Amino acid sequence: MTVATMPTSQKPKLRLQNVTKEFVAKRTGQKTLAVSDFSLDVRPGEFLCVVGPSGCGKSTVLNMIAGLDQPTEGSIVMDGQLVTRPGAERGVMFQDYALFPWKSVRDNVGFGLKHGTPGNGLSPVERRERVDHFVKMVGLEAAATKYPHQLSGGMRQRVALARLLANGPEVLLMDEPLGALDAQTRMVLQVELLRIWGEAADHGERKTVVFITHGIDEAVFLADRVVVMSSHPGRVSAVIDIDIPRPRTEHIRSEPRFGQLTDEIWSLIRDEAYQAIA
Amino acid sequence: MTTATHRFSITSLPPAVKAVTLPILLILAWQAWTLTLPENSPAPAPAKVVASFLALTASGDLIWSTLQSLGRVIAGFAIAMVCGISLGVLMGSSKAVRENLDPIVESFRPIAPMAILPIAILWFGTGTPAALTIVAYAAFFPLLVNTVYGVSRVDRQLVRAAQTMGIGRLRTVLAVIVPAAVPSVLLGSRLAMGVAWTAIIAAELAVGAKSGSGGSGGIGNMMFIFYAYSVDLNGIVVCMIVVGVIALLIDRLFRAAETRLLPWRT
Amino acid sequence: MVSLMETRSAKELSEIPVDPSAVRRPARATMSPGQLAGRFWRARWFVVLRAFAVFIALWWGVSAWVSSPIQMPTPAKVFDAFLGLASSGELFQHIWISTQRLLVALVVATTIAVPLGFFMALNREANAFIDPLVELLRPISGIAWIPLGLFIFGVGGTLPVFIMAYVAFFPLLLNTVDGVKGIDRKLLAAAETMGVSRRARLTHIAVPAALPSVMVGFRIAFASAWAAIIAAELIGSPSGLGFAIEWYRQLLMSPKVFAFIMTIGAVGYLCDLGLRALQRKLTPWAEGTGIGQ
Ligand SMILES: Nc1ncnc2c1ncn2[C@@H]1O[C@H](COP(=O)(O)OP(=O)(O)O)[C@@H](O)[C@H]1O
Ligand SMILES: [Mg+2]
Repeated sequence: MTVATMPTSQKPKLRLQNVTKEFVAKRTGQKTLAVSDFSLDVRPGEFLCVVGPSGCGKSTVLNMIAGLDQPTEGSIVMDGQLVTRPGAERGVMFQDYALFPWKSVRDNVGFGLKHGTPGNGLSPVERRERVDHFVKMVGLEAAATKYPHQLSGGMRQRVALARLLANGPEVLLMDEPLGALDAQTRMVLQVELLRIWGEAADHGERKTVVFITHGIDEAVFLADRVVVMSSHPGRVSAVIDIDIPRPRTEHIRSEPRFGQLTDEIWSLIRDEAYQAIA
Repeated sequence: MTTATHRFSITSLPPAVKAVTLPILLILAWQAWTLTLPENSPAPAPAKVVASFLALTASGDLIWSTLQSLGRVIAGFAIAMVCGISLGVLMGSSKAVRENLDPIVESFRPIAPMAILPIAILWFGTGTPAALTIVAYAAFFPLLVNTVYGVSRVDRQLVRAAQTMGIGRLRTVLAVIVPAAVPSVLLGSRLAMGVAWTAIIAAELAVGAKSGSGGSGGIGNMMFIFYAYSVDLNGIVVCMIVVGVIALLIDRLFRAAETRLLPWRT
Repeated sequence: MVSLMETRSAKELSEIPVDPSAVRRPARATMSPGQLAGRFWRARWFVVLRAFAVFIALWWGVSAWVSSPIQMPTPAKVFDAFLGLASSGELFQHIWISTQRLLVALVVATTIAVPLGFFMALNREANAFIDPLVELLRPISGIAWIPLGLFIFGVGGTLPVFIMAYVAFFPLLLNTVDGVKGIDRKLLAAAETMGVSRRARLTHIAVPAALPSVMVGFRIAFASAWAAIIAAELIGSPSGLGFAIEWYRQLLMSPKVFAFIMTIGAVGYLCDLGLRALQRKLTPWAEGTGIGQ
């Protein structure tokens, strides 16, 4: 089960090899080993969830894949190319959404198209159509001219998702994107997320997703595979295949298999979770 | 027993009436007090202040002096803006620059603008350049400090978000850092304009007092002439009111600009 | 130093930058010699020292280039003047006079503004009557009162005290009102459910809850007063630091003018340092809330 390499001959979309990250505080020189010897292959078109206790290094791993942080040791390779800096082919959805407060919903969605590489080669009309398309996809046409502070948490989350998709990344990196929402909104958006990801479509058309969450049931509901991390330092403690068929509906939450998988993952994390609050 | 249906109560007065009660009472008391004084007393009285205001307005003196002071404030403010914002962006975006210049800036900040006046007079004499120096010096610090704050406190996550969209460095500065810093810069501008207006009055007053002659115009100078030459206290009160009204207008103008330019803030 | 500006409400204060020097540095850990050298180069005291060294060198260069001892005395001349003023006692005499006036003005302003602020905040009716008057007077800067004050009090020590008390009054009042109004209603309700008396609620909840805001108001009041005293003394007083700079300007004794200006800055800085320490001592819980700095 701890085998993180490819079972098939298929090439990985992302390959993390012995990735280690040590933070050194500038002033004090104090060192924190956030991630240690982290190896993982991410398959093309798969929905991969990462769960683990808070502070175990999930965000650190994601930021390194995004190219926002550099590993101290080890390497991250995407389609055979070493990742050294951020790029629009690896889109990030941040936990607090990082929406530009001075931009309307539309302008937030079109930000990368206007200022960044995703807009290269597109005419203004094409850009506008693209923005329209994604605003509509997340159901925000009515709020298109509003500013982020006028939106509810769930709506902001949709803006961030539309912005992420509008930039057309090959890999979606999502850091607890549903973390700040209430339980009901979360469940609704989980279903919607799977729809937008293209759950019903052919595997080849789906984007590769690395999705961080601390919700075990969320991970089981969404993922093809769940990576369980342990902390101090952050490592892969298990990789679990979620063999629940797609497309998934609300009903699977009450199925025995769902409960089994959730329990299995919980049992892997439980001890650490209790230690963390003791 | 019967209860009066219209029993008078202070609490039931409309807010506008409550608001004007104390000011009107004070003005009435002031007027009543002056009536007890001999006819030739120089003490200012509300009725005389109104008369003085009308006369000064009719002659154009008041308007001209106000415009002169305003012109100086705007010029000094413009100088402060150029220096304060450009240095502020530099200090805000580079930690090295900030750490090295901070001690100097912090040493100058507690020096009151008026303390610079003697140097300004030594350098430029008692004319407009000295007044401009004071105004620019006074307005410089709020602008600088708030720009530094705005630029250095830009949400790092927004910058990172821009990077993940394939946005280059220069473009990130223009599209993310600059708009993010605008609210702070506007706040700094409002505070700076407020202190600049106070500073120009002080400078004109002091230049008038210290140059011995009539000085170089402006509303502060006008007040000094009323004090030292014509002994016209009513004129002084008119000037005080004008100073207050202009301060209020400046504040409102900048606040309006803030809400207009920043519709994305609550 | 809260900058030299007129009254601001506590709401605006929350928009005001945190003073960088107010942020505590974490303790240092052991490190290698190379790191130590780097740390030394970046150490705060060293950076400050280096900045001043560069500044004085620049000043020296400019004064050599201007070569007019009246317009731009050299740092050495100014230092000499400073020592002369200090050894003759004149420097401390003026400092003493100005700080004495400052103290009197702050005491007067505080004893009026703080109780009035509590009264206005706790009594909505009183607020409806008094607040408009305050808002009417507030835009008239203390400086604008100088000519009228000169008539009423004449040239002397009373004018600066009056101007400073006036200037200090508004930030103290507004911050007190905001502080009291900002008290968490739940705390008062919680106390009531515990049967705490009305009086105890005032002294043990309202006063401590408002204190951080009052302290912020006090620091702004000090800064505004310190800026105003220079103007007031320069125009209408025969003594004090503001008088001294103008006096020596007229005598064209520039080194002494510069020495006094630096003294004004230093005294203002030290007082604010003291106030900040007092603030930390009185309201340690306000640190990090955004209004404590
Ligand atoms: N920039 C940083 N500097 C120092 N330590 C950091 C930094 N970012 C994260 N850490 C530390 O690394 C560990 C993992 O953090 P993170 O990846 O944010 O955890 P998670 O996202 O799983 O909650 C934590 O102990 C955190 O304190
Ligand atoms: Mg995280």
